[in-house]
Amino acid sequence: MTDVPEEGQQRRTFFKIGMAAIGGLIGLAMAIPLVGFAISPAFRKASKKWVDLGIADLLKGSRYKKINYTFSAKDGWVETNKRRSVYVTDQGDGTFQVYSRVCSHLGCLVRWDEGKDQFFCPCHGAVFDSAGNVVAGPPPRPMDKLPVKVEDGILYVKES
Amino acid sequence: MNSRISAFLADRLPLKNVENHIKKPLPKHINWLFSLGSMAAFLLILQAVTGAFLAFYYSPSPDHAYDAVNYISKEVLFGGFVRGLHHWGASVLVIVVFLHLLRVVAYASYKPPREMTWVTGVLMLLIVLGFGFTGYLLPWDQKAYWATVVGVKIAGTAPVIGDFVAKVLRGGEEVGAVTLTRFYALHTIWLPWLAFGLIAVHLFFVRYYGSAGTPKNTPEDMRSGKPFYPDQLFEDAVAILILFIVLASMAIFVPVPLEELADPTDASYDPRPEWYFLFLFQLLKYFEGPLEVVGTFVIPTVGFVLLLFLPFLDRKEERTSLLKRPVALTVTCLSVVLIMLLTILGAIAPRLEPVPEQPPAAEQTAPSQETPEKAEEEAVFDFGLD
Repeated sequence: MTDVPEEGQQRRTFFKIGMAAIGGLIGLAMAIPLVGFAISPAFRKASKKWVDLGIADLLKGSRYKKINYTFSAKDGWVETNKRRSVYVTDQGDGTFQVYSRVCSHLGCLVRWDEGKDQFFCPCHGAVFDSAGNVVAGPPPRPMDKLPVKVEDGILYVKES
Repeated sequence: MNSRISAFLADRLPLKNVENHIKKPLPKHINWLFSLGSMAAFLLILQAVTGAFLAFYYSPSPDHAYDAVNYISKEVLFGGFVRGLHHWGASVLVIVVFLHLLRVVAYASYKPPREMTWVTGVLMLLIVLGFGFTGYLLPWDQKAYWATVVGVKIAGTAPVIGDFVAKVLRGGEEVGAVTLTRFYALHTIWLPWLAFGLIAVHLFFVRYYGSAGTPKNTPEDMRSGKPFYPDQLFEDAVAILILFIVLASMAIFVPVPLEELADPTDASYDPRPEWYFLFLFQLLKYFEGPLEVVGTFVIPTVGFVLLLFLPFLDRKEERTSLLKRPVALTVTCLSVVLIMLLTILGAIAPRLEPVPEQPPAAEQTAPSQETPEKAEEEAVFDFGLD
């Protein structure tokens, strides 16, 4: 083998490595911002705020009363009215318990059955007792109880 | 492991043929201008990738588009960078495609047997401009809105079918929600499919007929140069890297403009197209009255058709450099100088002074102090309110 082809071989090897390096560099310089760009909403923390549910006195004696409420919040680039549904129960000691209707399993809306004194989820057969504990079905934890407060006679709930 | 995968693939696919094909020697005389095609291909892919990511956060509706673009720029991680790459990438793509075309003209590479490579290339130039035109409506800002209003009206001046074409483009009588969704569909679905289809055909022709090289190549030279892979591809990669560094720097350091939200009632706004349409914008100013259609339709259409069929107009088969082809040289230089001149004139054209909606009260009450010159000036502002 003469020197010339060997030198040519070296050149070609250099070209191949060079191409891989350039490809890798551009690929990396693109992959980092593009992946960050795509997954960026996952890092956004939802800001939760107190929402007015109604006059506390009017809710006295409520037993698993369904209340739908709306609050204004940012949805991406849009300011929208978000809607939520909860069950409100007067605990008799002047405090209220507010159950989120969102099933702790996979997010369907549970229904309160007055006759059976239980919550039923229409999706995967979850059943919760009146305190929100799992009686049957796949949920991993009890129903979510939302933070509540009464201020100036108004019942507020921290939106879920 | 690696060798086992290669062996597996080699057993099942004609890898050896592919390898032989990409290692085929190029013509002996070739220079860095032959990397412009690869650069254009890289930019098109970059546009496709950044566009696909931008679509994660975009909403083609007049109620949402502007806020969505603003959201991308200000609130999404790396949003400014990704949008910057896409925005400036479009401009750089137009420049690279233009230079690529000039290179082919200068070396007469469009001559037999490469006419079809040329035709598919010119069609892609049209698609690139189509991407630009449909793309810059999407942010729904003042520039977007007004450039589209004017652009579609220009299409509307075409004889016989103009009005119909304008209505189809707009999806109605005026630029609005339907225009935005159809421009979005064209920009993100129709044009990309067309573009990638044409690229495939274009690349097939490029590989099938081989690179033309510079006109200096003798028939013996045509197959005695360096191989396409890895030699030429490495040079292409270096050119692409430089291009990418320039583009990424622009995306980082030059903010992408987003003007005010589109406002059909704002008469104080001076509509201007994107810079690569400025020559057409400027051209319109020279044709008045019934001659309007010459600037809006005749010249652009005739110019495009001549360009598309150039290989069939320039019938001399011998390939020589542009300097030895006096007619081609004159036409090319004149076209390039004219396009650049019109672009510059369009860019520096003075903006119209905003006309006050109501004459100031002081001038109404003190007409006696006016000089004749001033009176003439103010005639412009006379709305018959006196």
